[in-house]
Amino acid sequence: MGRRWPDARRDRGAAPHAVTASAEHRAAPASDAVRGAVTLALAAYLLGLLLSIAANSSSGASALVRALHGRLFSPWMVPPWLDLGFDYGLTRGLPEDADHRLLVSGRGAAAPALEFPATGMTGQRAARWRRLARAVAVDDADPSGTSVLATGMAEGLFSRVGADDLEVVVSRDPFPERGTAPRSTPEKVSTVRLRRGPAGLQLIRTSDPEELAPLLRPAPPLEGKGR
Amino acid sequence: MAFSSAGSAIAAAWERCWFVPALPRPLAIVRILAGTVALALWWSWSADLNTWFGPDGLLPVGAVREWRSPWGMSILDLARSTVVVRGLYLAIGAALVCLTVGLATPLAAPLAAAGFASLLHRAPMLAGPADDCTAVLLWCLVVGRSGDDLSVDRRLAITRGSGTPQPGIRNRIALSLLLVHAAVIAGAALLAQLKADVWWDGSAAWLLSAGSAVPVQFATVFRRSEYLSDAVTHAIALFEGAFTLGVAVPALRRVTGWIGIVGWLLVGVVAGEPWWGAAMAVFAVAVLVNPPTIGRPSE
Repeated sequence: MGRRWPDARRDRGAAPHAVTASAEHRAAPASDAVRGAVTLALAAYLLGLLLSIAANSSSGASALVRALHGRLFSPWMVPPWLDLGFDYGLTRGLPEDADHRLLVSGRGAAAPALEFPATGMTGQRAARWRRLARAVAVDDADPSGTSVLATGMAEGLFSRVGADDLEVVVSRDPFPERGTAPRSTPEKVSTVRLRRGPAGLQLIRTSDPEELAPLLRPAPPLEGKGR
Repeated sequence: MAFSSAGSAIAAAWERCWFVPALPRPLAIVRILAGTVALALWWSWSADLNTWFGPDGLLPVGAVREWRSPWGMSILDLARSTVVVRGLYLAIGAALVCLTVGLATPLAAPLAAAGFASLLHRAPMLAGPADDCTAVLLWCLVVGRSGDDLSVDRRLAITRGSGTPQPGIRNRIALSLLLVHAAVIAGAALLAQLKADVWWDGSAAWLLSAGSAVPVQFATVFRRSEYLSDAVTHAIALFEGAFTLGVAVPALRRVTGWIGIVGWLLVGVVAGEPWWGAAMAVFAVAVLVNPPTIGRPSE
């Protein structure tokens, strides 16, 4: 102890593993060229860090910040997962901040409905499913109308539920009024019908799935006929 | 003249902040804690790995590529079978274990950081604040020589008759980066919160307690006392502000570190993000163990 930190007694106010001046000076000095390069790299990174925060804010970002950030910093800050806004408001009191869950059921299928997160699922595992449900709802509300996530999940959901016609519902627990019991009936955020037929995959956003035409299955090909 | 002296003072402060060599032990402590948090988060993917990433998983590569940033990339994108998905996942876990125990640390640290980022890029919609902060912790560890102390590497070096760990500039840069990120993350979180009315009218803690992720039934307590809910809300905001300032002031770092360790763990529990609280507590440990720079940088 005394050998490693010779000035420890003089340095009682410092952190437990403080390096004293004499220990520091044992290290090999860095050349000016190395310091210059490190300073340049640090300055670039710190600027990128500030721009990432400005560009990834829920409040939006200016065109200038978006352009600088997107062209100069995103290409090398996104791959290592360092392009982060740290926009951890935790809650804004908006309905979108409530817990979301995903409910998938086969239309007319005897298979039980799937719920994510499933009952009894806790911790980070459940949190990831809640984030997925929220992402599906946000994606579904996107004006571009592509619903990338729901469409992408379709094949996996068909095989898991065992049906070619599914209803995917994202629901959330509304925030309770202050001072009242915290649980109430979940509200539907989005309902998407996914079905697989001869024309391929269909994604139908609907408030009333009953109004849609029934799924028509093609007749099995007759061997030896036709060609 | 005043401009020149101000410039010299800034240059000297920059030198003290980044170029005074530091011993590896503070970084080694951070390595062990950050590796443990990263392993816990890595493990949280295990039960649903095939459900999400398997050949007929819910998150096929094509859909995720459309959803995520065009610069996002993941080694797991290449996996086309369950065996490969699981193999890559286990390889990331092995790198994290090696980092945590300090085995082949110079290689394990970048592999663990890149692997962890790769896991997050495979399904960015599943990542949360704890994942973000842990990724930052892991990359900071890549910069320094965290395996030079409290590690298997150190034990092996002792058996080979090597001397005591030497201070280095890389360790200082890594520790200073941890401090910068600790202040920036806390400050950015505070800014995000202060944009919302609920952090001013005191109802934020009540709303957080209504979430199913909160392990303790705070809602029952907050229902009885509005003042208590208000106090917790304001305490979280004040804590984050104080932590940001405390990290920036060297004389306050020691007390800031202690308060930060307790405070972030509590905030994590109240917010229903206990692993985010744990990751931020690791940053607070970095603040606590980061030695104030004494004297001048080596010439």
